Amino acid sequence: MRSEPIDPSGLEWSRVSPRYLRVRILGWLLGSLVWLVIASVPLVLRLTGVWDSFPPGWVVWALPALVLVGAVWRGLLLPRQVAAIGYAERDDDLLVRQGVFFQRTMVVPYGRMQYVDIAVGPLQRAFGICTLKLHTASPATNALIPGLPTEEGTRLREQLSARGESRLAGL
Amino acid sequence: MTTAPGTGGEHPGVAPHAAVGEKDADAGVPWQRVHFISPLVRGWIALVAILYFVGRDWFEGLFDAGSGARGPLPEGVGLLLAGGVLLGVVLLIAAGFFVAWYFTRYQVTAEHVRVHSGVIFRQQRQARLDRVQAIDIVQPLLARIFGLAELKFEVADAGESAVRLAFLKLDDARRLRATILARAAGVETDPEHPEDIVEAPEREVVALSPGRVIGAAVLSGATVVLLVAAVAVFVLGVVLGTAIVATSFIPILIGVGGAYWSALGTGYNFRAATSPDGIRMRYGLLDTRAQTVPPGRVQALSIVQSPLWRLKGWYRVSVNVAGYGAAASGEDQARATLLPVGTREEVLQILALVLPDPGTERPVELFSAGMTGRDDGEGFVTTPRRARWLAPLAWRRNGFAVTSTALLMRSGVLWRQLVVVPHERTQSLSIEQGPLDRRFRVSTLQFQTTPGPVSPRVHQTDSDVAWDLFHGQAARAAEARRRGAPEQWMKPILVREPAAPGTAPVPAGPTDVTPTTDVTPTTDALPTRDVTPTTDVTPTTGEQPVPPGTREVMPEVPSYVPAPPAGGPADDPR
Repeated sequence: MRSEPIDPSGLEWSRVSPRYLRVRILGWLLGSLVWLVIASVPLVLRLTGVWDSFPPGWVVWALPALVLVGAVWRGLLLPRQVAAIGYAERDDDLLVRQGVFFQRTMVVPYGRMQYVDIAVGPLQRAFGICTLKLHTASPATNALIPGLPTEEGTRLREQLSARGESRLAGL
Repeated sequence: MTTAPGTGGEHPGVAPHAAVGEKDADAGVPWQRVHFISPLVRGWIALVAILYFVGRDWFEGLFDAGSGARGPLPEGVGLLLAGGVLLGVVLLIAAGFFVAWYFTRYQVTAEHVRVHSGVIFRQQRQARLDRVQAIDIVQPLLARIFGLAELKFEVADAGESAVRLAFLKLDDARRLRATILARAAGVETDPEHPEDIVEAPEREVVALSPGRVIGAAVLSGATVVLLVAAVAVFVLGVVLGTAIVATSFIPILIGVGGAYWSALGTGYNFRAATSPDGIRMRYGLLDTRAQTVPPGRVQALSIVQSPLWRLKGWYRVSVNVAGYGAAASGEDQARATLLPVGTREEVLQILALVLPDPGTERPVELFSAGMTGRDDGEGFVTTPRRARWLAPLAWRRNGFAVTSTALLMRSGVLWRQLVVVPHERTQSLSIEQGPLDRRFRVSTLQFQTTPGPVSPRVHQTDSDVAWDLFHGQAARAAEARRRGAPEQWMKPILVREPAAPGTAPVPAGPTDVTPTTDVTPTTDALPTRDVTPTTDVTPTTGEQPVPPGTREVMPEVPSYVPAPPAGGPADDPR
């Protein structure tokens, strides 16, 4: 995957399934549509004459336009965002990275893992992917790997559990 | 009557509790009940409220009777009816209390503490003793009058107490705490005579005078709010030419008064002591509380100085302890406070308790630099000069320093803060960089610990340095965990003959899980894993069992050199 300035050197990042991008795009389309419809309500009311003159013309046009621009911007960003998600299994810990503009890399030692979650939504199931989440004793540990192929997620979960057990430590 | 006969389990209506998977050895341990009057102490507010409303009604009725407002009921019948209703309500409440009390039973076995409660919705709870993160003995005012105390047993579930026993006789609570701590510590006890367990001795380290606590409250942020509000109200009053504005001062006054009161209530008579069972804190004006934090339970620690406290050189020490949870309420905040207000020497003394081995040659100088210093003295690495516009005030103070046992993080100019995280307590860490940070080639490191008032962060440090710290810290944390002290802090541990802690090889490969480090691995960490007795661990050649520490003997109080001036660490200006 593309290297980012925040990347540590000499690390082999595994990237998530390209199917995750499709899921995200579907979600993005749906979400954008809903927001666009909501933002267009004043415009429709003005055009049909239910509301006359109260919201100035430029407001009713600007509202959906803004939403549209925002949606397009997020849509353009989506492939890069998905491409920025990566994880790396090291000997003692798991690294998870994410973010394009606001980048974040998190390291979770195997011995600190309390449990591992796998979540699959209906859309994700249709595309055969899942979301893996690591939990430590700290609720602030927000280590999330979305868009793993199901078999890879299962493998990773088993692997993490096994490694966690062999390296377990108290709090 | 605190001790119910051991036949409580056979009581009709009480389900057999064998389903929990109790061992036969636990069968002989008697089930006990909390003190008989505890529901009364717990529910006294409800009782008083009911008495108040009913009583007021009746009282008003006395005066209304003449006017005939009571309706057609004759005088005597109304009184009788009121009395009957009152009696019925009280009896009903008493019956409820009694049933609740009767069905709440607890048991302390060698490994677990169990509590069964509830009549319709039953709850059976058990917690492993060696999972204890903290034990509190709390005495609300009314309980104090009756000589009762509540025992709180905290495990790492962030907030809710695993076991709350309210209320026991104070002596019973103390004895139970000693028993739990002894068993949690892994001390071999005589099962025949469990009452032989004595409370570990303690040595007072810091004591706060009432004057100091009052002074700290006066110099707190509440005073600033009060002054600002006073000026604002005065100015408004003059401008508007009316005195009615002054009434808006009343809620502020109430709020500030409340803040003073809570500061006084939670700091009054504060005593910190060290004991083989860990750090002891006791405090309280009306409600008193005695907290015990066993060794190695402090996940992170912060030393904060508010602007006004700078006048007196005071600091507050707060900690993250897994059992205490996020400090949402004032009471929780007080629980997570290791030292409400202390001088630099007292703070260093408390630090020495939490971190007996500071991992540096110059602990006093290092921590002092962390508390008040700026720039790169004593090994602190600060925000690079090029990024000073990201933190125009704090860039010379934002920084971190690494010792062999802990990481120090410094921040804040007005509210000075120093956060200390022992290496083996790091849960996970993340490195973050926003677009602006990238422009200045800096990154922010965030450490995740258990919930609490402390959130360790290294602000805007050079990206390369941040990455070094990120990887270095991950490695240091892993190594510190391997050589970390066992969770059962009195368990005998096996130590390799030539004790060379700095040179032990660090296993790195994924297959290398055999205990080759100098300390046997902690035998417990995840809830699924059972405790293996240390004696079962095959000692490899060259290892010798170290005799367990004795709980009865008070060890020396750890302190950093240069030692505090003569007169003891608690040189409180009284």
